[in-house]
Amino acid sequence: MYPKTVKEKNYDIPVAEPRRVPLWAKKALMQFFKWTPALAVGFLIMFPLWWIFVSSITPSGELFSKPIKYWPENPTLESYRYLIENADLLKKVWDTLLIVGLSILIGMVVSVLAAFSFARFKSRGLSLAVAFLLGSMLIPDVVTARPLYDFLRQVGLYDTYTGLIILYISSIIPFSILILQNFLNDIPASIEEAALIDGCGFFQSLFYVTLPILKPAIATVCIVNFILCLNNFFTPLFYSNGISVLSTAITQLPLRDNMYAVPWDLVSAMGFIIILPIIIFVSIFQRQIMEGIMSGGVKG
Amino acid sequence: MYASKRYLIIAWLFVLPALLIRFFTTVYPIFETFRVSFFNVNLLRGINEFVGFQNYINIFQDPKMITSIKFTVIFVVGSMIGHIVLGVGLAVILNVKMAGQKVLRTIVLLPWAMPMVVIAIASKWAFNNDYGIVNDFIRWFNPGFNLDWLVHTETAWLAVIAVDLWKDVPFFAILVLAGLQFISTDMYEAAKIDGAGPIQTFFKITLPLISKNILILSIFFTMWRLTSFDIVYAMTSGGPGEDTALIAYRITTEAFTNLNTGYAASIAIVLFIVMAILSGLSMYGAKKVNY
Repeated sequence: MYPKTVKEKNYDIPVAEPRRVPLWAKKALMQFFKWTPALAVGFLIMFPLWWIFVSSITPSGELFSKPIKYWPENPTLESYRYLIENADLLKKVWDTLLIVGLSILIGMVVSVLAAFSFARFKSRGLSLAVAFLLGSMLIPDVVTARPLYDFLRQVGLYDTYTGLIILYISSIIPFSILILQNFLNDIPASIEEAALIDGCGFFQSLFYVTLPILKPAIATVCIVNFILCLNNFFTPLFYSNGISVLSTAITQLPLRDNMYAVPWDLVSAMGFIIILPIIIFVSIFQRQIMEGIMSGGVKG
Repeated sequence: MYASKRYLIIAWLFVLPALLIRFFTTVYPIFETFRVSFFNVNLLRGINEFVGFQNYINIFQDPKMITSIKFTVIFVVGSMIGHIVLGVGLAVILNVKMAGQKVLRTIVLLPWAMPMVVIAIASKWAFNNDYGIVNDFIRWFNPGFNLDWLVHTETAWLAVIAVDLWKDVPFFAILVLAGLQFISTDMYEAAKIDGAGPIQTFFKITLPLISKNILILSIFFTMWRLTSFDIVYAMTSGGPGEDTALIAYRITTEAFTNLNTGYAASIAIVLFIVMAILSGLSMYGAKKVNY
């Protein structure tokens, strides 16, 4: 803090205040106020996750103990084994990766092409198309659920990989186009024009000039889309039945001899299978995810 | 360079897939919802007849709907107050320069990155009286504590809101943080020289500068709360009774379980109109706010 001044005969004379609190104590207090909230937040978020993990490796009989044991005494992978053998876990993991992977890939192609057009070409029709895409973001899932379900049945896309992938793509393209278009707006079109003048074909210039510049934006969008697709619950719940991805699988676990409605041993194991890759993924891509979130309204 | 007619055709070809997908998955179904909302469709009894506004009138006479509307309002208002207060607080914590900042930001991203179903279904267990983590935690301080959260209406409301806050406040905070980072450090230095304390600085400088940002975020978060579905689907299944059935949950129950598709459509249309009006008004309001 700056020393207080005393007005005396038109001179400003700095007066040192007597230091009641020693400097080291003040510093320690500062550190305390910095770290306590941070640790509290970390605890509030990580502790429930730790509890899910511990529950998943605790033998199911020991889960019914009071108070809860936060350190497993007899750790076991029994619940995981049960899931693999009885709940078709590996197939679900594969289905999830297939659907999410293809959705991101195709969705990215569709989004890059659209964003490129919106950023580079101007016409009244195209402006309308942008407005249409942004407007369609305002239509919530629940409002369209039943007619969409009936429509998918009519055209034979209900409970098919194709149908799910189309719906997943639909859920990610508005946001992806928005981000990519913003990014493209910042790149001068003159780079591409130079390439065209130098004898590049249109598609050559798109592939060899524009795409490489877009790479970081594409990476960011892919990373965020991966999480959004993985977390999508509404789509697989209502538009598929036989095909089960991880997010819906957790609500349809087989009941082992368990008097409670929620087979917690299996739910926690399934939950941790979903959570662990996310923790690793977020730790690796923290920076890109932050950028992606901050540069456009991503639905949580 | 790109102005010629030939390129415009390419442009439309590039845009077409995105437009088609969005048309068939959002625009066509919402028109269909609108149309069906004027019909009495009951797939179980094989009825399909035009009834005009009857479905809309029924909404406000259906006690289940009244309960749903009541809880939806409580949920949205309660959760949004929590989001703003806790979210701004957390954003300030995240903005403090300290050693573990990167780790803390990674941790804070986790709830956002996880599926709501997983959290909601774990919460069902977490709020269990005997074996849940919530009561276990409370018993560290108050050993005799006993409460079955999801069995009583008011505590079930609280639990649902608490879980929603746990999941989405970190996300809200990160978006507020984006606004905080735009405030130049000169402002804070000037305030410091003028003798402002940290609390004064927060209320006189930080808060006014991010208030517009918070307002716009709140619009989006309110819209998402209005259509929340996963949380009650996995956590309470609308219970106890129908007391935590959010409107979105009510719509899907009517549409997919009770097979009253006409009635479900009319609720959906009302919800959509309310959302459109709310977001329109608040966008207009946000434009008026200027700092």
